[in-house]
Amino acid sequence: MTAPLMLDIKNLGKRFPARAGREPPPWIIQDMSFSVGAGELLTIVGPSGAGKSTLLNIIAQIETASAGEIVFDGERITGADQRALHPGLNRRIGYVTQDDNLLPWRTTIDNVLFPLEVQGTLDAAARVRAQELIDAVGLSGFERYYPHELSGGMRKRAALIRTLVYDPPMILMDEPFAAVDAQTRTQLQEDLLRLWSLKRKTIIFVTHDITEAIALGDRALVLTRRPAHIAADHPIPIPRPRNVKDIFTMPGFASIYERIRADVQ
Amino acid sequence: MSSADLTTELSEGHAIPRQWIVTGGRVALAVALLLAWEWGSRAFGPLFFAPPLATAERIVEMAGNGKLFTDIVATLRVSVMGFIIGCTCGIGLPFLLRLSPRATEAVEPFIMASQGIPKYALTPWLILWFGIGDAPKVIVVTLFVFYITFITVFAGIRGVDQRLVNMARIIGASERTIARKVIWISLLPFFFTGLKIALPRAVSAAIVGEFLVAVEGVGFSIERARQLSDTTGVFAGIVVAVALVLIINVAVNALERRAMKWRPTDRDMQL
Amino acid sequence: MRWRVWFDRLIVLVILLAAWQGGSLWLGNYWLSSPWAVATRFVASLFNGELAFHGGYTINEALAGCVIGGVPAVLLPFLLRRQPIVVAILDPFMVGGYGAPKLAFAPLFILWFGIGIESKIALVAAVVFFIVYFSTLSGVRALEPKLVQMAQMIGANERQVGRHIVFPGAVPAIFAGFRIAVPYAIGGAVIAELISSNRGLGYLVQTGAMNFDTTQVFVAILAATIIVHAFIAVIDVGERFLLRWRPRGAALIVDHGT
Repeated sequence: MTAPLMLDIKNLGKRFPARAGREPPPWIIQDMSFSVGAGELLTIVGPSGAGKSTLLNIIAQIETASAGEIVFDGERITGADQRALHPGLNRRIGYVTQDDNLLPWRTTIDNVLFPLEVQGTLDAAARVRAQELIDAVGLSGFERYYPHELSGGMRKRAALIRTLVYDPPMILMDEPFAAVDAQTRTQLQEDLLRLWSLKRKTIIFVTHDITEAIALGDRALVLTRRPAHIAADHPIPIPRPRNVKDIFTMPGFASIYERIRADVQ
Repeated sequence: MSSADLTTELSEGHAIPRQWIVTGGRVALAVALLLAWEWGSRAFGPLFFAPPLATAERIVEMAGNGKLFTDIVATLRVSVMGFIIGCTCGIGLPFLLRLSPRATEAVEPFIMASQGIPKYALTPWLILWFGIGDAPKVIVVTLFVFYITFITVFAGIRGVDQRLVNMARIIGASERTIARKVIWISLLPFFFTGLKIALPRAVSAAIVGEFLVAVEGVGFSIERARQLSDTTGVFAGIVVAVALVLIINVAVNALERRAMKWRPTDRDMQL
Repeated sequence: MRWRVWFDRLIVLVILLAAWQGGSLWLGNYWLSSPWAVATRFVASLFNGELAFHGGYTINEALAGCVIGGVPAVLLPFLLRRQPIVVAILDPFMVGGYGAPKLAFAPLFILWFGIGIESKIALVAAVVFFIVYFSTLSGVRALEPKLVQMAQMIGANERQVGRHIVFPGAVPAIFAGFRIAVPYAIGGAVIAELISSNRGLGYLVQTGAMNFDTTQVFVAILAATIIVHAFIAVIDVGERFLLRWRPRGAALIVDHGT
């Protein structure tokens, strides 16, 4: 029995708009098709500049698609009209970027509550939920701190729970842990998996780190260079719950790593 | 629809370059302001609003009978004198202070505190001392220029990479050589910024000083016209004053660009 | 050795005061007044209300001008945030207005509004407007586009973006603008009073000079200087409180350009 599809992408294509009287620009993404089941954690691996961020931007409705279609939760959401875009698709798609993008003038708790404030859903129950998330990632006691007083890892956690606090069914993550040191990254990966196990959201996680892709994902897609499309689709056979710190020692790791690495080449 | 969208439509739809729209808008705004000026003179009467044409005629008249020239020369005379003295002190003092960090620390708060003194307010007292000649105005201009150059040069000296200075000391350079070769060179961008600000300021300070004490000059003409309720004269004088300062501003910027072709200049204030 | 610095400064202060006192003894009170005369007159003026009256007048002008000039100057960049074409069209006019000597308009404003408080307020407003406009504009422009995108992703509309992202981000620049503008504001108020007024600290300076009362001149100047520094101190305190979220950065050079 297959899980219901959260996201279905068919023949997606993207290139910059053609300028009058000039050569049509090259395709950034071409003929990309894949799907994501509800509650699945999908990782996407690929070389830098392959268009991974562009793909996420299109899904998140920040950029338009030039070709193909995307169906999200049964609803067709692609369109070529810039003005008809709804970033975040009415709060149903969360986006965690590489920069934590915390508002520097707000304390941790105010940053986490920010989406609820904007969406008008800030009530007592919401505050309790926010506090639970803060405690869950070990930021208790740092609620009144400003971002510049937090470490890089703490800011990432705050950015992560800021996205979780308003409960979007799907979350896109664009190399969120790339800018921290290896130890902090492992810690953050564990936090992510722990939070995800509590509430099975659909997550699309983009990374250039194959180990990270294997440690986190139910499946790993491999992207080619431009024009980007799916080179391979590898289910990750490692059972959950996963031990992120010692993922290398898990059975099946080595072979899946080799296969993915070969595909990335 | 924002103006950006409108412009994009216009430019990409009808192939009007964005630059044309901007320039066109500026021209339209300038024309609108002139028309508003003309309307003002009709609506409020010539006592309050000299008509643009009359103002222009007066300026031409002033140019014709030489008054414009003598006024500008008088004002510039005061400005340049004050600028030179102010620059000398403003540059000299930081270098002097550099020799004694202890003296610098002791004296700095007094210099900063004295900066809060409204300099034009000193004019009546200066008149008491020096009479109604150029001296009070030159002193006020000197003060304005002094603070500007002092702060920029002082900050520049502080900002000099100490490692360069240390290295120069190690290889046996004398303090004077260090001052000339290491500090002065590092200082140059700050110095030019200071000059760029100080020169127009010197001219406008001279003009304003002439409101209080003068027998000739651009500012003097404005204030005299006001006292005689000669509104056209006031308008004409102000146009000349504004034009003078703006021209000097442009000239100084152009000079800087040429002198420092290799550095990115401050684009915010460029005309 | 912090105390040595303060000791040095005390020495400098004593030297300055002694030189002043010495000068006044030598040349006479008419030319220089004296520290003692100024101090006693200052206190006396404070207590008999004269300083409060005239000082208050000047302060009112400065404040009113700051509000009338400052508020549009702050609002305009926000309103025009999504109209870069309008900003571009306005730019040469704003730069011209910034570069032009606003104080040169003092006689015109006096002609228009008379020697009362309105002409002074108008002058201060003109001076403050251009300074604060450019500061605020740069603050609004320095906006991080990624923060705006983040806000849009979580569903913020234009108004919310303006309120939660653009405005807080521009506040440091707004403070910087006012800090720069304040001394010019008070300087402008005083010069307008010097030209023509029947009240205010500039009036005290002018009448003091006309009556050869140097002490009064100095007292008024001293009061004006204190006011400038007080305003700046208030702004600094406000800034430190409102901007406590900022990481420790290098201190800016402050231009107390009166």
